[in-house]
Amino acid sequence: MTSSMTRYRKYLFIAPLALFLLITLGYPLVTNIIYSFSDVTFRTIRSPRLIGIQHYKEVLTSPAFWGSFWFSAKFAIVATFFEVLLGLGLAIALAPLLERYKILLTFIMLPLMIAPVLMGIMYRLLLNEFVGPISQIMQMFGIYVSLLNPPWIVGTLVTIEILQWTPFAFLIIFSGLQSISGDVIEAARIDGASEWGVFWYITIPALLPNISIAAFVRFVDSFRVFDHIYVLTGGGPGRMTTSLSIFIYKSFFQQEQIGTAVAAAMVLLIVFLIPLIFSMRQITRK
Amino acid sequence: MKKSMGLFVALLLVTGVLWAGGQSEAEAGREKVTFLFWPGPESEAMQKVLDAYNADQGIKDNVEVEMLLFSRQGFYDKLLADMAAGSTEFDLNLVTTYSLGRYAPYLEPLDSYVTSDPGKTFIPATLNSLALDGKQYGVPTDVSLHFTIYRKDLMHRLLTDASWKSSYTAIAQKYLGKKLSPKDPAQWDWDDYLATTLFFTKSINPESPTTFGTVLQLKNLIFNIMIWQSTMVSNGGNWMDEAGNITINSPEAKRGLEIYQMIIDNKATPPGSLNYEFAESNEAFKAGQVASMLQWNAAYSTLTNPDDSPSVYDKIGVAPLPAGSLGHRTHVHSLGIGMNAASIHKAAAGKFVDYLFSDKAMEIYGRAGGSPPASMVLSSLADIRPEFPTVAEYLERYAYVVNGGTADYAVPVYEVMAEEFSAVWSGDQSIDTALAHTEQRMKESIHK
Repeated sequence: MTSSMTRYRKYLFIAPLALFLLITLGYPLVTNIIYSFSDVTFRTIRSPRLIGIQHYKEVLTSPAFWGSFWFSAKFAIVATFFEVLLGLGLAIALAPLLERYKILLTFIMLPLMIAPVLMGIMYRLLLNEFVGPISQIMQMFGIYVSLLNPPWIVGTLVTIEILQWTPFAFLIIFSGLQSISGDVIEAARIDGASEWGVFWYITIPALLPNISIAAFVRFVDSFRVFDHIYVLTGGGPGRMTTSLSIFIYKSFFQQEQIGTAVAAAMVLLIVFLIPLIFSMRQITRK
Repeated sequence: MKKSMGLFVALLLVTGVLWAGGQSEAEAGREKVTFLFWPGPESEAMQKVLDAYNADQGIKDNVEVEMLLFSRQGFYDKLLADMAAGSTEFDLNLVTTYSLGRYAPYLEPLDSYVTSDPGKTFIPATLNSLALDGKQYGVPTDVSLHFTIYRKDLMHRLLTDASWKSSYTAIAQKYLGKKLSPKDPAQWDWDDYLATTLFFTKSINPESPTTFGTVLQLKNLIFNIMIWQSTMVSNGGNWMDEAGNITINSPEAKRGLEIYQMIIDNKATPPGSLNYEFAESNEAFKAGQVASMLQWNAAYSTLTNPDDSPSVYDKIGVAPLPAGSLGHRTHVHSLGIGMNAASIHKAAAGKFVDYLFSDKAMEIYGRAGGSPPASMVLSSLADIRPEFPTVAEYLERYAYVVNGGTADYAVPVYEVMAEEFSAVWSGDQSIDTALAHTEQRMKESIHK
């Protein structure tokens, strides 16, 4: 095989996947970019009229957009922080137990198997004052508050997110923990490292790529949160719990502001590039 | 043996070929019409209508109608995308009052396909609920309106117990500044509703057998605004006047919001109401913790079912929504059948539409579980649906569609109201601010 053949062979291998992505992601992306610069309604969806950057101006000066953007950002930061922290804690605490009882892993994974929209419906029942066990228990202790009312509402929504997705962070971090060589830890102990020293100087650096992956995936996913919030609060009261995804959905389908919705989605895409670059650096770090 | 066996196989083959040929000939002779629907009780009931049509009138019309089911989740969003793309995969589809204007550009007006007078079968208000700019875009098949649902046992005692009466009058005086006496719920105006609600709230009246006087649905949801808006319309308010001027920022709308606000401020509705919709309100009522509520007619079947509502099923009373200065009013909207403008089988689909406009079709649909707004059908099905005569009466006497309620901006306007008013109900903004915002945003939605 010639050297040039060898050089191009890697492109040959990724060509099918690249082509597939180009068709499935490229076409919608190009269409969305066109719509974001166009005056378009459902009636004119096949003949959008280019109007320049007007929708981006509307989006970037819209209090509703920024309100939903900051709600999503805060929601994602808090949820990701606790998910990764709990995931790390669970992975380290349960590692010895999981060595012996692998079946436990299945139980830990259960929340991941539930569709988020179903999770929302489940909590609608659990938190209902008249039929919900959570409310009933609270009432037994004389606590008559609705956890879906201000000021508890955002905390409740974040908690639901954390309860469902912590197992994901746990799984990623646990797989990293499994791959740390026992020899390295043993050598450190022989050299006099304490448990804390082993954890801080060996375990954490070794897990950093896994933590980055978990944090990145969870941040992006939490930022895009839609299902359970929409089911539980509809984005309300007012706009109190309107995430960016709900804002985009409502703008697109309910307000028929297609250009604005797509421009907001483009802004969201650009925002995601920042943690993506940071995470990729962490993941590919030698 | 071999010979007879061969003959038998040959006979089977010939029979099969002839049967298949006969089938395709019959099928080829009848034009296929595809009806896009969603799975659930409505499509199950509608399937009975299709079967009846295909077995009888369809043969005469040379038309066969088949159903194509989409999932209920996001049905209308997907439908809108399909219709906007000019899909010819279906000829008939679901339409609703509040999204009619949005679909109208992709719908075929039905007027030219109807051979009978629809007004003879359907209650006029429900025909209007699927009409736009003087054209009929849908056959109304399921109607939704509002009832005041109340506990008969509690209201009976309130009307007959002297100590309860005096306590009621004292509460009305204290909270409303008016000397009121208890009335039958059918005679209520909004003050009577408020006074009764406060009387049956334990934190106000420790003698009350229920914890809450009523249960409001306050979630940021367009259907909750549909219930609320009767507080405004019954007092003469509307989205806009006949000339198209937006009139939402009005004393009538303010009064409507104040009615709700008074209930919320006095904790006469459960604390979770801020995120309640249809199902949660029913649960509160079933738990025996609520004396009356403004609710969709669909709740009646559940609340009067002994298995679903064991503690209240035999205590359910129904009245019109409380009266304003114009009397009783109820929002009405319909689910119906429209025709895809891109259809390549319009004439055939039109024949089935014509059939749907008949009493016969609607009776089959009603008996199968639907709620068709046809006077004769609603009256004749009282044996299986006791609330139907009441539905017919309220539709005839009290039903309205707000000005602009079938326009293409209806859903955006409802969305704006749901957002702004739910912020009022959560204490996030004042009534005046919400009405000013709503007016401004309505202008933007309507004159986009």
